Amino acid sequence: MSELDHWHPVLLSRELSDKPVAVTVCGQRLVVFRTRHGVAALDDACPHRGMPLHRGHVEDDRVVCPYHGWRWGADGRGESPGNPRAKPCAAHYDCVERLGAVWVKRPTSEAPFPFVDVGGHTLVGTLRARAKAPLEIVLDNFIEVEHTPEVHMFLGYTRGTMADVETQTTVTDDSVRVWNHGPQRPLPSLVRRMFAIPANAYFIDDWTTRFSPVHAVYEQYFLDGPHGPRAGEALRIAVFFTPVTARETDLFVLAYTNATRWERPLAAALRLPLVRAMVRLEVMRDCALLAHMADAPISLRNRALGRFDQSLVASRKLLERIYRKRPDGHLPVVE
Amino acid sequence: MSREAEAVVLGAGPSGLAVGGALRMKGVSFEVLERADAPGHTWRTHYDRLHLHTVKQHSSLPGLPWPAHVPMYPSRDEVVAYLEAYARHHRIEARLGETITRVRRDGDRWAVEHTSGTTRARHVVVATGYNRVPHIPTWPGREGFAGEVIHSGAYRNGRAFKGRRALVVGAGNSGAEIALDLWESGARTALCVRGPLHVVPRDVFGIPAQVNSLRVMSRLPPRVADRLSLLMLDRVVGDLSPWGIRRPAIGPVSQVLVNKQIPLIDVGTVALIKQGHIRVVPGIARFTEAGVALDDGSALDLDLVVLATGYRPALDAFLDDAPRYTDARGYPTHFGADAPAPGLYFVGYRNPLTGALHDIAREATAIAAHIARSA
Repeated sequence: MSELDHWHPVLLSRELSDKPVAVTVCGQRLVVFRTRHGVAALDDACPHRGMPLHRGHVEDDRVVCPYHGWRWGADGRGESPGNPRAKPCAAHYDCVERLGAVWVKRPTSEAPFPFVDVGGHTLVGTLRARAKAPLEIVLDNFIEVEHTPEVHMFLGYTRGTMADVETQTTVTDDSVRVWNHGPQRPLPSLVRRMFAIPANAYFIDDWTTRFSPVHAVYEQYFLDGPHGPRAGEALRIAVFFTPVTARETDLFVLAYTNATRWERPLAAALRLPLVRAMVRLEVMRDCALLAHMADAPISLRNRALGRFDQSLVASRKLLERIYRKRPDGHLPVVE
Repeated sequence: MSREAEAVVLGAGPSGLAVGGALRMKGVSFEVLERADAPGHTWRTHYDRLHLHTVKQHSSLPGLPWPAHVPMYPSRDEVVAYLEAYARHHRIEARLGETITRVRRDGDRWAVEHTSGTTRARHVVVATGYNRVPHIPTWPGREGFAGEVIHSGAYRNGRAFKGRRALVVGAGNSGAEIALDLWESGARTALCVRGPLHVVPRDVFGIPAQVNSLRVMSRLPPRVADRLSLLMLDRVVGDLSPWGIRRPAIGPVSQVLVNKQIPLIDVGTVALIKQGHIRVVPGIARFTEAGVALDDGSALDLDLVVLATGYRPALDAFLDDAPRYTDARGYPTHFGADAPAPGLYFVGYRNPLTGALHDIAREATAIAAHIARSA
């Protein structure tokens, strides 16, 4: 059993050209390359003598080892120009390009592909960012709002109103949902106009975390007054957490909006890059902060947890059971 | 029990509700009869991930725009919520649990026989839906097949089919999206495509196919529109024949106008076909115990077959003289206000490129105006 039994995004589509690329996912080094119509992933060491295959090139849908010219197809089947009767085989992975990213999983696994309900929305942008901290520590940061006054600039609450922010955590067999409701922090008028946010807006941050693979989908929108009708633009953002090694985690952020590109095309062409930049900035601030948490113990045992941390404990349990497939009670601990 | 009404509307799906809304705005009194226990029944039972394939900006029913926060392609649940809000907004209280058994001429009026009695009206609007009765073709050997066979109407999601070998029959919009859903659920999925097929991405360069067709294609002569569409499809879809999907000889716009056949609106299935994750196979010759034998002589072992083979309106089940008003497949040939019998109207049996709901809204408005004039 391995974490790679789940589908993981490993690259953004735009990061993969016609050259093979090395990626590390869950500590495994893979080479990812494009074939004529698809994408493929193999162990990044030529089974012949161990040469990293990403140093090679792609020819006829196969990656060619730069050392002795052995070549490997998407299904792992290889051939050697000098050993025409040999039928060598490389470890291969299921690989698909979807939602603007390249995803891999072990071919023996039947794990479902994560469903993100963005079929109605407009893509704002995709981004990959590396957080230099272990998966659990990174996930913790993304499933509570108490850090938003200190870390974030746009979306979230202020230190002064944090005590008034309502938060509700709902746990099911395979998901943890967190709903937060509080006064939106003051915003520059340009940003307010950009999102059509009313003056007395309340910000709802409502997300659900699932664990095959580990990802959270955020629904972020505004109310006109504490219990008023919905107002302004809404974002739907999916964040996938791909462990690179035990100490680093890649974030794949797929950001969508309920606004369209085609109704006021000129305004949208100006606005969408701004929204994209804003999402990037906020994620970068998370990553900068998380770098200081690289050596923090993963366990939550003996931590002084507050009311916003309920989802952390629930998520750790599901992460252990669903993602890591370890029996209850295993480290990283929750009590 | 016998009742009287100015107009009676058969069905409380989008079409029936739209006519109800349009009649309410004209001040005409009406009754709506619905066989299910809630309005919008078919939408409630569609598969989980379904979104409207047309944008909400061009899919509202008469008198009520979509809420601002709903994204451009509303989800199934958002469509249901909209239909409920629509009924509330126009105070349409459909009589539920009323199956229509017969519609007949009765003097200068129509008599509608239904579960709880007969309702008579001068105007009867048939809005029983595009999707009334699942169309299930027959194949030899079907009874001997050891796996499961369901119609797409009964498919909700792929959770139960992880690791199973699945075949979706029929490359309409639901068939293609169900194949995508099954693949995502971890099923080994094939899609059966029998005839030639145009494939149109739902959005091209960020512009919805529906907007493109409303603003550009439907304003051009069909031959020009065909040429333009094919140029665009060459660029964004390309030749799918290596995967077993052939293009029809007729262009995509003419195909809708002449054959009444809409292209496949792709929401991601084609990318999975090209990447080799979903296999396209030819038609089924017959079922075997282990699976199916295909038209090309090959065999496919299967655990599940989903028949996305469509629906029929089956109006002859209740409408006297139905063949007078319908084509060979049972679809009405008259729309808006020109059915050849006075006071008889059909709405919601077309599926144009400009969108079914868009068309329903226009038809409903025309029908209500006609009824109001003759009321």
